Amino acid sequence: MADETSTPHKRGPIKSSVGSVAVQRRREHAVMVGKERREALMRTKRLCRVGVSSDSDDVPADDDMMMDEEQSVLEDQTLKAVEELKQAVGYQGKGAMQKRVNALRELRRLLSKSEYPPVEAALKAGAIHTLVQCLSFGSPDEQLLETAWCLTNIAAGKPEETKALLPALPLLIAHLGEKSSLPVAEQCAWALGNVAGEGEELRNVLLSQGALQPLSRMMLPNKGTTVRTAAWALSNLIKGPDPRAATELIRTDGVLDAILRHLKKGDEELTTEVAWVVVYLTALSNIATSILAKSDLLQILVDKLASSNSLQLLIPVLRSLGNLVAGDSYVTNNVLVAGCEITANVIQALIKCLRSEHRVLKKESAWVLSNVAAGSVEHKKLIHTSEALSILMHLLSTAPFDIRREVAYVLGNLCVAPAEGSGRPHLIVEHLVSLVGRGCLGGFIDLVRSADIEAARLGLQFIELVLRGMPNGEGPKLVEVEDGIEAMERFQFHENEDLRNMANELVDKYFGEDYGLDS
Amino acid sequence: MEVTQFLLSAQAVESTIRKHAEETLKQFQEQNLPGFLLSLSGELANEEKPVESRKLAGLILKNALDAKEQHRKYELVQRWLSLDVAVKSQIKACLLQTLSSTVSDARSTASQVIAKVAGIELPHKQWPELIGYLLSNVQQVPPHIKQATLETLGYMCEEVVPDVIDQDQVNKILTAVVQGMNANESNTEVRLAATRALYNALGFAQANFSNDMERDYIMRVVCEATLSPELKIRQAAFECLVSIGSTYYDKLAAYIQDIFNITSKAVREDEEPVALQAIEFWSSICDEEIDILEEYRGDYTADSDVPCYYFIKQALPALVPMLLETLLKQEEDQDQDEGAWNLAMAGGTCLGLVARTVGDDIVPLVMPFIEENITKADWRQREAATYAFGSIMEGPSPDKIIPIANVALNFMLTALTNDPSSHVKDTTAWTLGRIFEALHGSTVVIVTPENCEQIIKVLLQSMKDVPNVAEKACGALYFLAQAFEDVGPASPFAPCFHEIVQSLLNVTHREDAGESRLRMAAYETLNEVVRCSSNETAGLVLELVQVIMTELHGTLEAQKSSSDMREKPNELQGLLCGCLQVIIQKLGALEPTKYAFMQYADQIMNLLLGVFACRSATVHEEAMLAIGALAYATGSSFAKYMPDFYKYLEMGLQNFEEYQVCAVTVGVVGDICRALEDKILPYCDGIMTLLLKDLSSNQLHRSVKPPIFSCFGDIALAIGENFEKYLMYAMPMLQSAAELSAHTSSVDDEMIEYTNLLRNGILEAYSGIFQGFKNSPKTQLLIPYAPHILQFLDSIYLEKDMDDVVMKTAMGVLGDLADTLGSNAGSLVQQSLSSKDFLNECLSSEDHLIKESAEWARLAISRAISG
Repeated sequence: MADETSTPHKRGPIKSSVGSVAVQRRREHAVMVGKERREALMRTKRLCRVGVSSDSDDVPADDDMMMDEEQSVLEDQTLKAVEELKQAVGYQGKGAMQKRVNALRELRRLLSKSEYPPVEAALKAGAIHTLVQCLSFGSPDEQLLETAWCLTNIAAGKPEETKALLPALPLLIAHLGEKSSLPVAEQCAWALGNVAGEGEELRNVLLSQGALQPLSRMMLPNKGTTVRTAAWALSNLIKGPDPRAATELIRTDGVLDAILRHLKKGDEELTTEVAWVVVYLTALSNIATSILAKSDLLQILVDKLASSNSLQLLIPVLRSLGNLVAGDSYVTNNVLVAGCEITANVIQALIKCLRSEHRVLKKESAWVLSNVAAGSVEHKKLIHTSEALSILMHLLSTAPFDIRREVAYVLGNLCVAPAEGSGRPHLIVEHLVSLVGRGCLGGFIDLVRSADIEAARLGLQFIELVLRGMPNGEGPKLVEVEDGIEAMERFQFHENEDLRNMANELVDKYFGEDYGLDS
Repeated sequence: MEVTQFLLSAQAVESTIRKHAEETLKQFQEQNLPGFLLSLSGELANEEKPVESRKLAGLILKNALDAKEQHRKYELVQRWLSLDVAVKSQIKACLLQTLSSTVSDARSTASQVIAKVAGIELPHKQWPELIGYLLSNVQQVPPHIKQATLETLGYMCEEVVPDVIDQDQVNKILTAVVQGMNANESNTEVRLAATRALYNALGFAQANFSNDMERDYIMRVVCEATLSPELKIRQAAFECLVSIGSTYYDKLAAYIQDIFNITSKAVREDEEPVALQAIEFWSSICDEEIDILEEYRGDYTADSDVPCYYFIKQALPALVPMLLETLLKQEEDQDQDEGAWNLAMAGGTCLGLVARTVGDDIVPLVMPFIEENITKADWRQREAATYAFGSIMEGPSPDKIIPIANVALNFMLTALTNDPSSHVKDTTAWTLGRIFEALHGSTVVIVTPENCEQIIKVLLQSMKDVPNVAEKACGALYFLAQAFEDVGPASPFAPCFHEIVQSLLNVTHREDAGESRLRMAAYETLNEVVRCSSNETAGLVLELVQVIMTELHGTLEAQKSSSDMREKPNELQGLLCGCLQVIIQKLGALEPTKYAFMQYADQIMNLLLGVFACRSATVHEEAMLAIGALAYATGSSFAKYMPDFYKYLEMGLQNFEEYQVCAVTVGVVGDICRALEDKILPYCDGIMTLLLKDLSSNQLHRSVKPPIFSCFGDIALAIGENFEKYLMYAMPMLQSAAELSAHTSSVDDEMIEYTNLLRNGILEAYSGIFQGFKNSPKTQLLIPYAPHILQFLDSIYLEKDMDDVVMKTAMGVLGDLADTLGSNAGSLVQQSLSSKDFLNECLSSEDHLIKESAEWARLAISRAISG
């Protein structure tokens, strides 16, 4: 009711007891921690995507915002940020952790904001040493995360800048362990991936420091961006040329399963990164190739090829498929048996790629197809009777050179049967006649004219087939009509002895003194 | 129905009579509300009825119009509005009639009920004749009618917001009120009622305070009233001054000298209730200037709305001596009395605020007082000197404080050990805590490894002193521990860690630990010591786990064996759970101990489940917080506890009454989501159902709603595309909340702040959902929601009242939307204002978190457009 006495004071006394304040703080802390963790989770998810794309080609074109800040200003800011970080690391008082995290965040922001990050300035200011300190064990996640992020960006710089990370590598590797939180492990993996991407020398350092095992274990779980980042880093790490890392990886417990599982069930981005791992495994290590060849991999790759429309994904999948087919005869002989469903599916999938708009897909699929076409006579018949043929014919006359060359290999392979013993391969006259009849000779003669020795050799080989194999001795005339003689005569004084001899022999043999007399 | 007898019986001493009467009244109300209310108003207006029954009638009437609890209040308002107009008119007529009663209690009761009715009706443009009636009533000759009417005007101003009353009427109300306050008013009761009415009406006087003449007039009348011979009028007038000081700070320059003279005379000479208000005036001026100066510091570019007049700085040479004098007017037992508030306490509190306002300048003005009094024989002088020192710790720069603190340190350690007065020891321990707190990182300058050991020794010794001194010693140790947080290896705490922990545990076991909040202080200090401890003592913290577990186990056993102990162990259980929470956080974060700690996880969980099981209807908040910490520490292995724990989670989420419990539980759901990821899936149906129920309840405190939305995000992040089945419930909920929060339509700062919290929660939910669905084949399910979400972003941008956090989260959502939906949303995003103006504004933000989010959004959008 009415307040007849004095107004109760609202103001708390300055001299208060500690308990209630402390309880309040503790609760607020709990709420804050939850918020920070949610924030960190969301941020990590975002930043990974940003990073993956920053090494592809879609940096936005309207980059006025980044440009309006002069590089020198950015460098000054960076020097200042590193100094502040050093101070924060030296600072021991209240809120030291937040201070460090803030300083790290500022540095990371500077290192992330421009297309030309001020990495050099940061290194000059001695950032690495301080960043290594920030990676020490027991540091809070937020700090580790920001530090690894800074290092990630530094590692994305020029080769010598990447090398500057050397002192940080052992700790970055250590934080990959299971005891680390996922975001921290992921960011460290990213930094290491950048380092591994730099070159063989740094790859060897990382391998000798034991980066392979923890990274490969990160690939085992089922979910999350972590797996993808780890896969990406691994693909950089096993790039070789030494195949041992690739072999070790495929032999690591659980990795084969994980690869197959992710390829089958992962989202597109994950599948892409894992497919790149497979590309290097199959390109480098025979052991890995043969293990993979005996797994379900091929079926999975074919399914992906048929179902996906993502260029990013199709490229490594195609290349893996090609590596498998080219690398292990087991695949062509025992899996891709002509008449099996899977073989028809492979060819269908490759046809889809040949038809695609993308140059790379066309080229890679032609390359895979050429490997299949190098198989048994049945394989050749299969391709010859498929829709692929007309597409290939079209490509041979219209596509850019690199695609034409791959296409030529397919067509060439279709016309020869595996040689028994040594000596020249057997002709499959039926295919030869059909292809020449559809007008492919001109395409091959074009290749002869190219500066590319392999392509020229291929062209000459095909001319040889025509000269030798076309029924009724039609060959020479066909070659002459397509200006083949002129093309071959270019090799009369060619520096490549092999080609010179081949061309000269052909000209001598089929267009010698007797040529034209019968006609 | 004749209610008189029941109203009288309801106040009877005999409980059976009372209960019967109460029951009858209740039945009457339930069976015939209009009749009941009419009877009450008739009773109140009837001059022939006894005053007791009239008062109670008015009180019941008032309670039928208003309640503290928001939901109940809303119901009562609606109930009144839907009553028959004729009934309401009759009730209101009775109420106004009562203002002329000769019985003062009846008048006073009626004036409060009138204000409640006005509070409901005026915003609905009902009862338009009320104010006119009251204004004509003020002109009545009989003073008792004048007094009652002024009182009514005052209560009415307290009930309604300024914008429901026309400026014209405001002017008339103020004129009537100020006239009533005038020194010419011979009737004391009228003058007092007018002065109190002005206090409530000040909020309406915005226009009048902008007018020099009117303002001068009001100020003159208020100042005159502070000189009234009547204590209550002086007190009420100073209350007006305090309110003017904070509401119209920028209009004070012309009056500040006079006000200083008036207040300083009151502080020195007037009675305590008046003197306290006079000090309060300066405290509130400090509040204003601290806010303004903080705004200056925080934002160089923006023009601050209010300039700083530096009143405190100008008054300093006179203000500080006045305040120092008050410090010597302590009460003997103020340290034992928790609610104590006297001249010395108010003076010290104000001195602390002055120090925060002026910084270094205060030091030379206070030091002579300290030096003069600190060694005096009278405990009052030593205590006042110490108190003065402790009060000014916050504000001056460390450079200024450190040399003095260095000298003072040894002196105070000695005093804490040897001073014969508990008052002095109490304040000395508190001042040590203030030093450690204020110097933060610089504490290491005055506390070296050498003297640290001695300081700790003295503080531990003081913990055996009387409870209030021991409590302050705990506080000092609390801040000392905090100052050494993050020092890394070789913490000076490490060598005596064991001893500190043991001493604090001993304090918790003191028989008198219930006095002066000593037990709580000891546990919270223990928590802080643990939280700030360095890795070298991790092993000892690990040992502490077992101790705390044993204690907690003990409370569970004690509860089983006796039922009358119920209240006490509950508080203790809370403290122990709090301690476990901190220990779990600590050990879970340290590599070397995390695995050793995990062996206790099962036991801890069992104990916490035991604590939950002790209460049947509600869950223990502190235990819930400990669960959150445990979930984070154990990660996905927390899954094994879920079957047993889940029912308490449900209980917490259903606790509408103790909304803090509900809020804490919502937070724990988030913790568990992050720990379990998709393993939380089996529980999601139940959790989502309860969260949705919470959201649709108007019983639940609104502060819990933003965290619930964020929690949607947590769940979606954890379970990814499995969130699909909740979309049809969650999305409409988010959508309608978004529509509500798009426009604040309020000038109320608190409302704007709440709206921004709500927006942030909604946006976090959207981000979580988008990120959860990212890369799943089901992303197309989200496409239908994209237009509305973008529209929401656009509208909060146009509203221009979002805070930085919302801005950052909004950019995150923009990016997540573009990232997840890709080319499906490309053109939609491009059309939105958010992707242009809003984005550009954020890209050029000074706040790097906003900028970072914006850069991410830009990248995601550019990919979505090109993709």
